[in-house]
Amino acid sequence: MKSIYIGVDVGSVSTNVVAIDKDVNVLFKTYIRTNGQPIDSVKEGIRQLKESLGDVEVLGVGTTGSGRQLAGAILGADVIKNEITAHATATIHFVPNVRTIFEIGGQDSKIIIIKDQMVVDFAMNTVCAAGTGSFLDHQAERLKIPIEQFGDLALSAKNSVRIAGRCTVFAESDMIAKQQFGFSKAEIIRGLCDALVRNYLNNVGRGKNLEPPFVFQGGVAANKGIKAAFERELKSEIIVPEHFNVMGAIGSAILAKDYVEKNKVKTNFRGFDAADIEFTTSSFECKGCSNRCEVVKVSMEGKVIAMWGDRCGKWTNSL
Amino acid sequence: MKVSFPYMGSAIVYKKLFEFLEHEVIMPPKPTQRTMDLGVKYSPEFACIPLKMVMGTYLEAIEKGAKVLVTSGGHGPCRAGFYGDTHRNILKSLGYDDVELIIFDAPQDNWKAFWRNVQKIRNGVPWPKVINRMYTLYRFVQKLDELEKMVQKIRPYEINKGQTTQVWNEIQEKFDKIKTRKELYKVYEECKNMLLSIPTKEVDERDKIKVGIVGEIYVVMESSINFGIEEILGNLGVEVERSLYLFEWINDNLVPWALRPKRFKEIIKKGQRYIKILIGGHAVETVGHIIDFKERGFDGIVHLMPFACLPELVTQSLIPKISKEVDIPILSLPIDEQTGKANMLTRIEAFVDLLRNRKKGKTNEVLINNLQQHADEERVVMV
Ligand code: SF4
Repeated sequence: MKSIYIGVDVGSVSTNVVAIDKDVNVLFKTYIRTNGQPIDSVKEGIRQLKESLGDVEVLGVGTTGSGRQLAGAILGADVIKNEITAHATATIHFVPNVRTIFEIGGQDSKIIIIKDQMVVDFAMNTVCAAGTGSFLDHQAERLKIPIEQFGDLALSAKNSVRIAGRCTVFAESDMIAKQQFGFSKAEIIRGLCDALVRNYLNNVGRGKNLEPPFVFQGGVAANKGIKAAFERELKSEIIVPEHFNVMGAIGSAILAKDYVEKNKVKTNFRGFDAADIEFTTSSFECKGCSNRCEVVKVSMEGKVIAMWGDRCGKWTNSL
Repeated sequence: MKVSFPYMGSAIVYKKLFEFLEHEVIMPPKPTQRTMDLGVKYSPEFACIPLKMVMGTYLEAIEKGAKVLVTSGGHGPCRAGFYGDTHRNILKSLGYDDVELIIFDAPQDNWKAFWRNVQKIRNGVPWPKVINRMYTLYRFVQKLDELEKMVQKIRPYEINKGQTTQVWNEIQEKFDKIKTRKELYKVYEECKNMLLSIPTKEVDERDKIKVGIVGEIYVVMESSINFGIEEILGNLGVEVERSLYLFEWINDNLVPWALRPKRFKEIIKKGQRYIKILIGGHAVETVGHIIDFKERGFDGIVHLMPFACLPELVTQSLIPKISKEVDIPILSLPIDEQTGKANMLTRIEAFVDLLRNRKKGKTNEVLINNLQQHADEERVVMV
């Protein structure tokens, strides 16, 4: 029977589940749309993992992403970690000398600066979507080009058109104007890729010292057009790791593995049955004091298994 | 007069002030989502978040019956100086003609106006009484701040999660009931003992992480808008200190120039290394405090700025340079009505990881050692 470590990354757009062995070989990975149903997508991921790998012994579980607490509660995770640490952990494993990580997902993007295998600085986008995957999705749709062909088409263009990329709204109207001028779709797409990269580097990377080796990951790294735009902008090679779209999940699996090995503990993993158990979340406003905390409650078949969000510990400690 | 005021930080202090002046006090509710919704609805879209939140608070206070709203003004070329007038105009346009807004600008800017306001809120209370009670209030603020600083040093090491916050809530309730100076000193001693009896774990001095919180006054002082960042950091095992405490603010701003404490002048001087002219808000202080925290051995800085706040935007643009020259990691967090908590938590947590790693100068090993701790710090309880 194989021994595995599971990593789960629950974001607002996608839920990624991976299984690695003790040498960090990726035995399984899946990518599921979250669709606002994080519980269902986590269960679905676990179900697929079980189906694909058969009988396995789970030695550790780690979760990350904006839904990390919830996923952690459902699965019984050993380690619950933020995305930045998780991403950095995985990248450092695959590209040990990495200095700069570009991470662009559907809704958010980050830049992580590494020195001597240590995170020394990072930045995340806050409110601006102009540097993320959803911007590309949206524009592809508008141009009636399947997003899968987007990259190849961008590469086929000889020239680039300068698109105002500071804001999705401007980019869109600028694109319409450029189309009317008679530029080809390929040129416009290449222009869009350049605009996204420029915007991302200016916004998220503002004031940061970007040093190679550069690693580019997250869902958008599948897009060759963006990769090429990065290379043009930075005049340097860009590494896209093999498992570029599940690095957060891999990172959390590695963290779980390290933690379990180091502390010689048994995993908290609830077992694959978790996929069939009914979990519900609810939240309420505590009126215990003027803080009025929004307390989140996760129940397993009617029994409360986790609570968080209370400032004073009143609810967390009541379990 | 039915008096109310903006809710910011330990609001019981303002309540005491008006109680001492024998007003009927309408306690404004601690800002909630509703306050934000109200404020956003009735404020100009491009105003910064403090203006909107305070607007919401005023409307909620008026709902509860407030007829007079008292606030401090701003000075220097930042739009905070126009808050009062903006709020006044909005209230007027909403038809609250019977609500009076009293704005206290810095006395040295206009002594006459200041004096007129003082007479208004003095409410006919005889001067000897006023002076005596104001002195009590001054000590009240001082003692409360001292206790809060203790809270910030105890919370990271508490054994029972949440206990410190609970005790702090109790302390504030006790302070709320204080009427005289004698009582104040007695309650203070009691509260101090309550805090000292909280069981804590031993942490090696070298493993302690200290973070200074700097930025615009409202987002630094008011926990409901900054997601309770002090508690978040405390629960992650980090000691915090703010750049602003009410007691110091009173000394710095309300005590006449000549008496201004040396410390304040030093902070300004440090800030002027990077910002030479007055640009309003708390920009110069923010920079000064960053340098001061570093000199005092802090490990990192969290810089809170209202989204689109001009002075803090200037600070933010200087941060990469300051961070490098002074050699201290700084996390800038813009705060807006759209700021999501999950995103904010991720940054803070990653920042704390970064500080711990930096401190130990080693990577994974440290991370792993801290994982156990972090797992419960995430406040997830598993059965
Ligand atoms: S959970 Fe605790 S801190 Fe939050 S509102 Fe209730 S009593 Fe107050």
